[in-house]
Amino acid sequence: MKTRFRGASKYETAICAAISIFVFLCLWELAVRTTAVGLFISSPITVIGKTLRSIVEPLGTHTIQGHVLWSLSRVAVGFVVGSVAGVVVGVLMGWYRIFEAIVRPLFEVIRPIPPIAWIPLAILWFGLGESSKYFLIFLAVFSNVTMNAYSGARAVDQTLVGAAKMLGANNRQVFTSIVLPSCVPQIFAGLQIGLGSGWATVVAAEMVRSSEGVGWVITKGQDLNNPLQILVGIVGIGVIGYILAVLMRAIEAKLCVWSERGK
Amino acid sequence: MRKKIIECSRVSKEFTTDRGTVNVLQNIDLDVYENELLVLFGPGQCGKSTFINCMAGLDIATSGHVTVNGHKVEKPGPDRGVVYQRTALFPWLTVMGNVEYGPKCRGMGKKERREKAQYYIDLVGLTGFENAYPSKLSGGMQQRVGIARAYCNEPTVMFLDEPFGHLDAQTRYLMQEELIRIWEKEKRTIVFVTNNIEEAIYLADRIVLMTNCPSTLKAEYQIDLSRPRDYTTPEFLQLREEISAVVDKSI
Ligand SMILES: Nc1ncnc2c1ncn2[C@@H]1O[C@H](COP(=O)(O)OP(=O)(O)OP(=O)(O)O)[C@@H](O)[C@H]1O
Ligand SMILES: [Mg+2]
Repeated sequence: MKTRFRGASKYETAICAAISIFVFLCLWELAVRTTAVGLFISSPITVIGKTLRSIVEPLGTHTIQGHVLWSLSRVAVGFVVGSVAGVVVGVLMGWYRIFEAIVRPLFEVIRPIPPIAWIPLAILWFGLGESSKYFLIFLAVFSNVTMNAYSGARAVDQTLVGAAKMLGANNRQVFTSIVLPSCVPQIFAGLQIGLGSGWATVVAAEMVRSSEGVGWVITKGQDLNNPLQILVGIVGIGVIGYILAVLMRAIEAKLCVWSERGK
Repeated sequence: MRKKIIECSRVSKEFTTDRGTVNVLQNIDLDVYENELLVLFGPGQCGKSTFINCMAGLDIATSGHVTVNGHKVEKPGPDRGVVYQRTALFPWLTVMGNVEYGPKCRGMGKKERREKAQYYIDLVGLTGFENAYPSKLSGGMQQRVGIARAYCNEPTVMFLDEPFGHLDAQTRYLMQEELIRIWEKEKRTIVFVTNNIEEAIYLADRIVLMTNCPSTLKAEYQIDLSRPRDYTTPEFLQLREEISAVVDKSI
């Protein structure tokens, strides 16, 4: 039998996802009950129970949703600034030769440095407060968005540019009405990766120094020698990361009805 | 005396690539008259698109020059409309968005350009598809949008570069009829490129034959059959044979 997974309906995909998560949890539960795994890790029932309980009972100064909101608010700041800057730099670099010649070498050197490598410098420059966290998330988002916007702008169909000029578009109109919209699918791919990467970076940044946020939940769990709290933090990060990805895909599907990627 | 709209004088075009220089067009002289439907007929890869691009201003002749309505063609401009071989619709705009694109660029107010675009959408038979995206339309419908988009800008001349080349035979016949219907309603000077002899005779006021690369113009036929034309009349078939014979000899 040949199954075309690409052709699977939304409904089938959702069922598969539910089954795979459920089976994973069952195996985990089984391993904890019947083997020595139980000495190192709590059972999923305990973890989920604790996670749900922390919705009402605070971990430290905040409930779990309080921590999530703190982390999300940090990501939001870095994400907004990073995506705007990334789109601008990426598209300009992809469309204007001179801008590319000047900026691309710099960008190529900065791009491969993982955001967490900047943590010490960020702390020296911005201190231990919020600014250094914003800066790190900004970097994570910026490099991904820039890269994608850049390759999008380079791949603009020259026939369409010619068609627009034949219809009377001037250079500015070509840029805003042809170059920018052509890049939207690629920019969205960049925003998706950027948001994932920003969410991963906020955790790292909070683990260095903070008094709230999901990263803090994990480091505090380590300090308190409390693996259950660590797991609660990890579950929180995973679930929120997943929700963010789903949201981004939904927004993309709305904005890019016309493109292949959006379907 | 009919008014000359396009005048090409000694147009040559060469492309220089890593593998050397290819001479594609060689000293082409051609005049196209007001409201004439001129068909450029030539074999594949003979430089038809190159010639069209030079006349439209998408490319510049290596030597010689082209004037449209007395103005020398040097860059793209809205007095010349192009319908492409491969549909070049803007995929992120709806049918309406595509058709009103030209007037919008030139600063026409929303109400006025919507009315104008609607007129041409209706003219090409796409009423009801205003809000559809091009990817949702069939090949024939996409070319209709392309024609409406070019018309809506009210250019002096229109260049159609094998617009029906990718359509199935049935749709192709239909689109040829449609093009004649549209053109008889809204007369324009049209240069139509094809490598299909029946299509050429069906559409043309005048057919100009192009030779293989380096291309020159080889022969010219005034087609005086009355419209609507029928592929099966003796006159049609005779013309077809006559032109085919000349084409076969030249290839
Ligand atoms: N930008 C270019 N650079 C180099 N060579 C080119 C370029 N454009 C066209 N050519 C060459 O010019 C010749 C004519 O190309 P052109 O596309 O004008 O032919 P055509 O008659 O339109 O072909 P078709 O029937 O396939 O549409 C070809 O041999 C092609 O390789
Ligand atoms: Mg061609």
